[in-house]
Amino acid sequence: MKELQELADHLINGYADRVAAVTQDLLNKGATPQTILNDGLIAGMTVVGERMRTGEMYLPEVLQSASAMHVSLKILKPHLAKDGVESRGKIMMGTVKGDMHDIGKNLVGIMLEGAGFEVIDLGLNVQPQKFVEAIQTHQPAIIGLSAMLTTTMLNMKTAIEAIAHAGLRSKVKILIGGAPVSQKFADDIGADAYARDAVKAVDKVKELIAA
Amino acid sequence: MECRPSDRVPFVPAIYEHKAWFVHSTPSVVCRDVKLFTEALLAEYESVRPDALTVGVDVYNVEAEAVGCKVRYYGEGDSSVPAIEPDTVLYHGEDDIGSLRMPDPSKDGRMPVNVEVAKNVVQALGKEIPVRGAVSGPFSMAASLVGPENFLMLTITQPALVHEVMKFCAEVIKQYATAFVRIGCGVVIFDSQSSPALISPDMYRDFVLKPTQELIRSLQTLGVNNVPLIVGGNTSDILEPYLETGGNNILCDYPANAGEFLARCSAARRAFRRNIDSSDFITTTPEKLRARTRECLDEGKGYPGFILGTAVAPFGTPLEHLLAIKTAVEEYSKKGSA
Repeated sequence: MKELQELADHLINGYADRVAAVTQDLLNKGATPQTILNDGLIAGMTVVGERMRTGEMYLPEVLQSASAMHVSLKILKPHLAKDGVESRGKIMMGTVKGDMHDIGKNLVGIMLEGAGFEVIDLGLNVQPQKFVEAIQTHQPAIIGLSAMLTTTMLNMKTAIEAIAHAGLRSKVKILIGGAPVSQKFADDIGADAYARDAVKAVDKVKELIAA
Repeated sequence: MECRPSDRVPFVPAIYEHKAWFVHSTPSVVCRDVKLFTEALLAEYESVRPDALTVGVDVYNVEAEAVGCKVRYYGEGDSSVPAIEPDTVLYHGEDDIGSLRMPDPSKDGRMPVNVEVAKNVVQALGKEIPVRGAVSGPFSMAASLVGPENFLMLTITQPALVHEVMKFCAEVIKQYATAFVRIGCGVVIFDSQSSPALISPDMYRDFVLKPTQELIRSLQTLGVNNVPLIVGGNTSDILEPYLETGGNNILCDYPANAGEFLARCSAARRAFRRNIDSSDFITTTPEKLRARTRECLDEGKGYPGFILGTAVAPFGTPLEHLLAIKTAVEEYSKKGSA
């Protein structure tokens, strides 16, 4: 379908208005929301992710694309619900205690929503106890912890310890990400996975859900 | 640190929020208290004996706070680093540019605290060691004023406005930096929001280079000949414009390629600071740190402009870990000059 390619192209270029218009147009023409999501939005964001990885796109452009995707998802959500399209899983996310950076976390959240997951965003500067309480309330399959500073990344460990102390560690998988963290750090603090960028985060979530 | 031959490699660890640890306090308390902040810097010097001191705890907040953003300070015993409250950003669109107020470094926010602390430390140690007041780079300050995500998007949607905000920020920083220079203090510029982790090399040239060049030039006009410019992350892709800023010592953070920095900085006769990764500073061992330091020192072997530094030391980094790095630098220098 030509319009799906058009949708993906507008998304890659970060044209939110055009993405919204084409999304609506496709729905009017009878395309299923699932097709629009998979063959338009996710296809577009996959290209964005690749271009980011190869240095063809940088964060400002990626944010534009993510913002456009968010607009389209708003249009699609009621239709997805009406069609009974089920969430692929519940993911909870938060930037750890003491850290006020959220660009990366927000980007991952939008990408996960686009990939069909339900995302619960606990926001910034999340205390370890708040993670524990939110796990008890929402029972997510995965928690994503974000930190941007060498000084706050250690609070990822504190959050994981609090979750373990509450007897909840076996009930959730934990994914970490952020500029200063690494696979080694994830291993050291007992996280289940590490993702170095938003695209990888979606891949890791899919892997963890399937495991 | 000025690219002149020396008997040893200078050691400049990044101790900002960790300063508070030296006086058994927290970053939120120390950064607002002239006496404690001064004592923290003096204690840092006594304990670590670095080759330069930086007057700054939460180095990216001061200018934006002085313009009117709110900073979140943490309560007693909480060692979290103060940060701009995201919902207090001042700039929401082009109508706001005229309402931004030029702060007075002698009155607004914590600028007078930091200048007073710098004055105290220059009086106490100025003859022994370079003392530098920390200022934000224009791009980083602008990101704080506008909110990082919005600001990054504006670089695409409204580039002319970005230039205007940058102009305002550069002027604020110039005034603040001048206040440091007037009391005999040096200046170090921090601009990690302009790293390629966030913006492209083309964007760096378009938005960051010119205001940064002008800022550094204005400091040089005031007699500050050694202006370090700190941009964290892997900056290999912006190495050329980074050098064109005029900063005469630049940062080669741990993810960057030290070989490229050595080649380009040697040709341009600039110093560079190679950082050791600090992410495991609290949990690692002195032996591992000594080994890592030697590896880093090998990367700049023989180059007179090589400085050994660290990424930001987390609050609570054991003193023996910082001293292990320093000892390794000293031993390496002795071995090299023997």
